[in-house]
Amino acid sequence: MPGVTLEARELSKWFGSRTAVDSVSFTAYEGEVIGLLGPNGAGKTTTIRMLSTVLPPTGGDFTVAGVPSSQPAGIRARIGVLPESAGYPMFQTGLEYLTYHGRLFGLSRDEARQTAVRLLGQVGLADRAQSRIATYSRGMRQRLGIARALVNNPSVVFLDEPTLGLDPAGQREILTLVRMIAEARGTTVVLSTHTLPEVEQVCSSVLILNEGKVVVSGSVAEVTSTEAASRQSGRLRVPPEEVPRAAEVLRRLPGVSVEVSKDVLTVTSADGMNSMLSAVLDAGIVLLSFEVDGARLSDAFLAMTRGGTS
Amino acid sequence: MSARVIAGQECRDLWLSGRGPVLTFVYSVLLSAVTYLAATNRILNFLEQRESVNLVLQIAVAVGVLLTLVVAADAISGERERGTLESLLLTPVSRGSIVLGKLVAAMSLWGAAFVVALPYLWVLGKGVAVVGKAVLLALVVGTVLALSMAAVGLLISARSSTNKVSLAASLFLLLALFAPTQLPAMSKSSVGDLLVRINPVTAGIHYIGLVLVKGHTWAQDLSYLISPVVAVVVAAVALALAGPRIVRLTGGVGSG
Repeated sequence: MPGVTLEARELSKWFGSRTAVDSVSFTAYEGEVIGLLGPNGAGKTTTIRMLSTVLPPTGGDFTVAGVPSSQPAGIRARIGVLPESAGYPMFQTGLEYLTYHGRLFGLSRDEARQTAVRLLGQVGLADRAQSRIATYSRGMRQRLGIARALVNNPSVVFLDEPTLGLDPAGQREILTLVRMIAEARGTTVVLSTHTLPEVEQVCSSVLILNEGKVVVSGSVAEVTSTEAASRQSGRLRVPPEEVPRAAEVLRRLPGVSVEVSKDVLTVTSADGMNSMLSAVLDAGIVLLSFEVDGARLSDAFLAMTRGGTS
Repeated sequence: MSARVIAGQECRDLWLSGRGPVLTFVYSVLLSAVTYLAATNRILNFLEQRESVNLVLQIAVAVGVLLTLVVAADAISGERERGTLESLLLTPVSRGSIVLGKLVAAMSLWGAAFVVALPYLWVLGKGVAVVGKAVLLALVVGTVLALSMAAVGLLISARSSTNKVSLAASLFLLLALFAPTQLPAMSKSSVGDLLVRINPVTAGIHYIGLVLVKGHTWAQDLSYLISPVVAVVVAAVALALAGPRIVRLTGGVGSG
């Protein structure tokens, strides 16, 4: 059983009369990647800022790697954070930037430099170590930010929207890094994002916030199965020349309705999707793709946040 | 240790980013122009040589302190706007060390201003044995004023909601403090003298004039240095006490 690295109890934050975070409690374990989800203004960034001691909580407490929230400097020594809108000193090189942060975490000049070189290699920036940050692309800066978050070998890493504004290749690189951090280092990663497919790819559990409150938490499968809409409809994609035959096969099944649009068949059945799938495959029709409505995390997310504005 | 690391990096940022060298260059151009005018212009040549040195020294101190204040006023609010403050706050370094590191970096600009002013004072003052006195006055009075203004600038910067507000408030404060130095008859009445003594900038500048131009001894008018010393002590204590609480992610009154 992996050890507990992060435990929040009744964490709350008020800005004047406005409640940003309301009694959030959760536990995270070694090597776990937790997806922190929620529409804009749900309290994700505020939660991360409280857990990283940048904002003092109005109520509740938390521990990071056994260090209580009453010791913020001790917590900061055990966490790494990539803030949502991280800025970088553009005239510094990546190597200088990481070396400086290593020194702020108490490493000697040589240790900090060695750590910086190693981390730049791990995030794929070794060949740009001596380039000024101003010349880095957005994806490179995000990878540099992740390297900075790892400079103190943290127990918990908070990544706030790490793939924001990145192209698909850049997003994939970041997600690969997130997986590496959790699996190779055994670090707990708290990943705040709006991009739900990436949560399904890398997160072992999710915490969905809405209006500052936790509306659901658990593994991706649990959240999807317990909270998603009923699975009585779905979409099948077949080769265009097979569409009429597939529609005919499906219409022969009792209680099934079929709508055809180009090469996609939208089917509805009170008995679920299994019989429809079997019928199509038994007819020797090539199935290009199949998606059940309500089976995705985004369906659960929208259901629980009442169509939130993500 | 952490403060030293931060100070080192802040100084590198200031001097390698181009901001420090550009400000120092502009400062040296200004001093060159004033020195040239003081030395050659016919009207200004009516100035006694000691008064020429005094004029350049006052401008050197005033502009040097202004530059120090500008750098200090940008130190926290500027980082906040550039998004680099959060990563600094996320390190285990104490807020006090962050403040101290930034104070040292701001003071490095005053150090450069002082060094740049030396040849101008030497050129104008050679032959009348005031160069040493002028250099020492610049070092003592200028450093005290620059330190107090840097501390005030950092406090304003930490408290301001935006960098523009911080710079505007700091410049307004400096202008309000320096404006009375341009009123020559101010210290001749008892109320005026009191006002000169209360304002650390006018008191410091007036003390420089007394020692340099009127030939008073250093100890004779030492009371004029009370307000600059009090200002630096109060500003430093306020920075030490309030700094750790007000250096945070969001600025502005009532934030965070």
